Formats: sequence, structure tokens, C-alpha cells
Amino acid sequence: MDFGLSGAEQAFADEVRAFLRAHPPETFPPDGTDAGYGSGAHSRTFTRALGERGWLSMTWPRAHGGQDRPLSHLFVLLDELAAAGAPFGPLAGCLQVSESIIRNGSETLQREILPLVARGLATFWQGYSEPGAGSDLLALQTRARLDGDHWILDGRKIWSSHAGIATHGTVLARTDPTSTRNRGLSMLMVDNRSPGLEVRPIRSLTGQVYHYEVFMDSVRVPHDWVMGKPGEGFGQLLRGLDTDRFWGRFYKAPFLRRILGLLVEYVRAERPGDPVARRQLAHAATEIAALRALFHRAAFLIERGLPATGPVSAAKVMADELGQRVLSLGMELLGPYGVLRAGSRWARLRGEIEHQYQTSWGHTLAGGTSEIQRTTIAVRALGLPAEPRAR
Amino acid sequence: MDLSFSPSQQILQQSARAFLQRHCPLERVQALALDPRGFAADLWKEIAALGWPGLLIPPDLGGSGGSLGDALALVEELGRACFPGPFIASAVVATTALAAAGGRRAQALLPALALGERICTVAVLEEPGRLDPEALTLPVATPGRLTGRKLFVPDAHVATDVIVLGRAATGPTAVLLPMERAGITVAPLDSMTGDKLFELGFDDVEAGPDDRLGAPGEGWALLGPAFRVGALARSAEMAGAARRVLELCVEHARVRVQGGRPIGAYQAIQHACADLYRDVESARWLMWEAAWKLESGRSDAFPAVAAAKTYCGEACLRVARRGHQIMGAIGYSEEHPLHLFHKRILAASLDAGESTWHLEAVARSIGFPQEPPS
Repeated sequence: MDFGLSGAEQAFADEVRAFLRAHPPETFPPDGTDAGYGSGAHSRTFTRALGERGWLSMTWPRAHGGQDRPLSHLFVLLDELAAAGAPFGPLAGCLQVSESIIRNGSETLQREILPLVARGLATFWQGYSEPGAGSDLLALQTRARLDGDHWILDGRKIWSSHAGIATHGTVLARTDPTSTRNRGLSMLMVDNRSPGLEVRPIRSLTGQVYHYEVFMDSVRVPHDWVMGKPGEGFGQLLRGLDTDRFWGRFYKAPFLRRILGLLVEYVRAERPGDPVARRQLAHAATEIAALRALFHRAAFLIERGLPATGPVSAAKVMADELGQRVLSLGMELLGPYGVLRAGSRWARLRGEIEHQYQTSWGHTLAGGTSEIQRTTIAVRALGLPAEPRAR
Repeated sequence: MDLSFSPSQQILQQSARAFLQRHCPLERVQALALDPRGFAADLWKEIAALGWPGLLIPPDLGGSGGSLGDALALVEELGRACFPGPFIASAVVATTALAAAGGRRAQALLPALALGERICTVAVLEEPGRLDPEALTLPVATPGRLTGRKLFVPDAHVATDVIVLGRAATGPTAVLLPMERAGITVAPLDSMTGDKLFELGFDDVEAGPDDRLGAPGEGWALLGPAFRVGALARSAEMAGAARRVLELCVEHARVRVQGGRPIGAYQAIQHACADLYRDVESARWLMWEAAWKLESGRSDAFPAVAAAKTYCGEACLRVARRGHQIMGAIGYSEEHPLHLFHKRILAASLDAGESTWHLEAVARSIGFPQEPPS
């Protein structure tokens, strides 16, 4: 049993820290909102800076331009970036899409998209949810039909994060019109500059834009911009969701630890004699430590190529619900100051609690609701019978 | 990062599980819990033959010189089986203290503990019920005579020896006494958990310089590492017991049919089981991370153990309590094993420092000043 970093991992952690000291996160201009998962804002310049250091592609096989480094280096990178509050919002999407392209192809996507990802020039939105297909994703209506050497894509996607500032989307569409439910689905790569593709922002309760609605009206997609083969979309989606949930939440524990640190400083300065606050924060620290241990367990399984659905879904449920508890505690500790927005004269802790408190209420919905995660754990990890579908 | 068990730990886990399934089924645990004496001398003899009580004892003193991780891997299995008896008190806590103390008396006792011929318990808590050096009042002088009492002493009825942590003029001081020393009395505490706890009375009990463990005034420092190892062992026991509760609940949810389908096909039950799974997994790996920190001597090991003990207690109690709701009325009956696990987890969560005590260590580790505000 060894929870520690190897010599090479520690050296890499030091390298990332040195980079962050030389290039403080706040010097990179944000292009998109910090959605509160711990990956900070969406910053194109920061993403490119990661690409320049080879960190976006370091775990890829050499044949695809990578360095064949172990996955653990990515865990180290995410831990360090989150602890520093760096703006690496698009990174999880890049990791997930590049992993899928490397595993599934096509060769065209490997040749055309991977080099852009490696340099930090391509970022992605996910086209999964639709107005009538949320937790019941398989009710989706988006379709694509082959016309010569192009797919003609029609449909409407919603809640796609960063779709307005990303370069490409991965769109789940029905490519076999005779199929139902989980058959005949394909994952298409779509260039945001395609004619017929329209992206409309959805302002969230935070007052900022993170999600978009995407309208696709006869969007032409090259026939070989399919991940894997046509009809394999559902299998890829399932595998993708596991890794998506993992990469999209792995940094929540170091993020919450950073928030906890801010709250400890605040209580020490403003409420030094408050034994209840002291106890509440110590208690939160134990839960954050447990969350981190659970993520490391999932990371270990993923690195070894072992089934990780249970630990990943459990970690996501825990991350998102614990995040809400920690931010709610932050609100309580800041009292009336808690609700003051960043930038206002009396805001405390730079208004961070206000913003992250609000974002936290989307997390138990995004990437599969907590209810979907619990069902996934019960059926796929514990082997309980699936609930019968309504007819 | 390598979160896997060593080959020898895997063998230990497998052989322990097989042995406990055969020799310590839940009916046996149930009978022992209901019996006021509740000690299985035959089982103790058999686990001694397997070398379990000697796991943490160095080879030159008759043990197998295993690691803390080896012991915790075994204790997880003991928790899973709800194995009753003085294993953690004697083979983990007392053994760790004796190995650390050294000296003629400790070195003479350890080989007998390894053989299972003797059992050593630890008497620390007094009326305040707190694991805290300030709460120690039993006067200890070597040479001198002890008069007073200790509470919540585990398995004192079967122990042959006891480590008593009292107070000398110079501070907390430990002595190692044979239980047959004149003036020691043992009175059972009637606990609902089925654990065997006792009040130890000391009536003018003689203690000589030879009985002292470690230096006078250094008792807390001597026993501190043993308490930490004990807190981890109790955490491992809870994690193992909670895992078994999850298994019992999932099995029940698969076979219990209501409204035309297994109750496990209803989301209300599925989601409850998913919460148990989250609590079991997170508690287990937090415990293992803390164990790794302690074994590798990291500077953040002490608060990590404190956090693990606190979290395991809370998470595993959640598992037990929610388990009753999943199991339904049958789990409320005495013949069903669920309450055994619930009570074992409850006992473990309150032993080796309950969560408020450990939370203080965590509070200091996240940047709060040393002294809690008054």
C-alpha cells in the first residue's frame, strides 16, 4: 500500500509548482466562467501554456505525439493546478476527448484533431443532453444521415458547457433511423465553425454564462469524423461517462481543501473565539480527506485498467454533495457578508464563497445527476436489479 | 501510488476469511455477545496457532514481525466477521505499547502473548471517560501502592496482564501488572454493545520499580503510538464491519420481493445501498491512507489518523443505521446479525478516542491555534 508520489511524480509536481509560481494564475485572462468544479475559469492562453509544456499530451502514446508518461502524472498535474486555483476549465474535456479519439479513432480525427489538442488550440463541448433527453439520455432526437462523404446533422443540444468558446463539440446522434434506444447511435465530432451550427448562451442563476444551447440545422460533418465506427456511440458514451465523471471531478477535493483554508483564515481573523466554527471546519476537513482518498482509489483502478464505475460514481456523488455542504458552511460563517458579490466593497474572501456557493447547486445535476449516479452504483457496482422501465 | 495489498497480505486476508467463515459464523458471534462471559477460548487458541496474536511481535520474541498494514488487513477481516474478543486490546494496542517500552517484563510477556498463552489489556479511562492525559488521576508510584479505579477496561475477565496508565508526581506513568496481583478486582459493566467492558478496582495494590513500563512521567508518550495504532485498528474493524453490513443489505435487497419485484429494484432502496457503498469505500481508503502515512513516518500522520478515526466512526455508523432501514423489520430482531455489526461499530467509534477528541487534532492541523478557545 503506497499513497505516495514516486521520484518522477514528485519531480513533476515540483515542475508544475515552479511553473505556477513563474506564471501566477491571475495573469491569464479568462474567456469563460469558473463553474466551480475546481478547474477554475476557461482561459485559452492558460490552455495554450499547458500545451507548450507538452502537458496536454504527455500521457498519450508516442505514435500520437505523446510522451507515454503514466496517467499518474495527470493526477499530479490536476492536483497542483487545483490547489493553486489555476484557470484550467477546458482541460477535463480535452483529456476525455483525446482519450476517446486515441482509443476509438478515426484515423482522420487522430491526424487532424489530436495535434490541435496537444497545442491547446482545440477545446470541446459535449452534445449529449437535449430538451427532452436529460437523465433519460436515450430519448435523444438528434439525427445524422450519410449524404455522400458527409453526415448531415440535425438536432438541438442543451446544457453544453463552454460551447460558445470551444472549438469543437462531440455530438451524440442517431445515425441509424431504424434503431431504438441504445443501438444505432454514433458520436460525431463537429467543428464549431460549421455552417448551420448556432450556439446560444444560457445565463445561469449565478448571472454568468457557462452553458449553451446548440442548434444544428443540416450541419455537414466529414464521414470519418465519427469516433470509432457508426453505431458504437452508446458503448463509447458509457465508457466516456465513467472517465468524464472522473476527470471532471478529480480536482474537487484539492479545490475544497483550498476553500477550507480560506475559511480557516477567515475564522481565525474574524471569529477567533468561536469553538463551533473550529469544530465545523475540522469536521469538513475529515470529509474532504475521505473524498480525496476515494478519488485516489478510483485513480489507482483507472490507471491499472480495472473497473472503476463504482468508486468513480461514488466519488462524484460525494464530491458534489460535500461541495454543497462546504460552501453552505462558508455562507454561514461569513454571515451577512457571504452574499456580497466579488468586487463589491464589503465582499469577504474576494467574493469567492458567493460564486462557488451558487455554482455548487449545478454540480449534483451536471454530468449525470446524483440520482443517476446512485442508480449506476446500485445496478452496475452492487449488482442490484434494474428498475423496470415504464411502458 | 500503489493501492494494492502485498501478496502476503492477500494470503492473510484469504486465509482469515476462510477460517472465520468456518470457525466463527455469525451464530457463534451472536451466542458470545449474549453470554456475559462471551470469550471463545478455543478460537483464541486456534488464532494463536495461526500466529495472529504474534503478528506485531518481533521474530526474536516469538512473533512474526509483521507490519502495521498486515495487522490492519487482518483486522478488516475480523471486523467483517464481527470477531469477538481481545484481539485489538491485546494483540494490537498492548502489544504495540510493550514492544515500544522494552525492558525485562515486557520482553518476558511478549512471547507468551504471541503463543496465545497470555492476554494483556489496557486500563486508561477514568470517570471523565476521556482519552486525555489531564483526565488521569489514579496515583501511581513505583515503588508504591495503587488505590483507585479504571473504567471501560476491555476483556479484563480473560486478561492475564494489564497495562495501567495512571499519574505519578512527574506525570502520566504506566505500569504492567499481572491480573492476579493482590487487590485488583474486576466488575463487569453491562454494555448493550456486547463488548466485554469492566471496572477495574485497585485496593492497595503493590507496584514495584520492576512493574513500571518506560520512564516515570513518560507514560503518555509511551502509549501515544499504541493509541494511534489502536485508533487505526478500530477504524479498520469498523470499515470491515460496515462492508459486511453493505453485503447483507445488498443480498437482502436482491431476494426480498415486495410489490412483485425485489426491493432492490426500487430506487429508494438502490439509492440507500449506493450511499452505503460510498461510505464504506471512502472510510476504508481514508483509513488505509492514514495507515500508510503512519507507517512511512510522514509528518502529517497524526492528524491523518485522527481524521480517519473520526470519519470511519461517522461513515460506518451511517452505514449501520441506514442498514436497519434497508433490512426492514427482520433486521430489528435479535436473531438477525445486523445489530451485532451496528453495536460493534458503535463500540469501536467510541473507543480509542471518540470523534470530538480526534477533531481537535484535525483542527490544529488545518491551521487553528494549539489551544481551543475557552
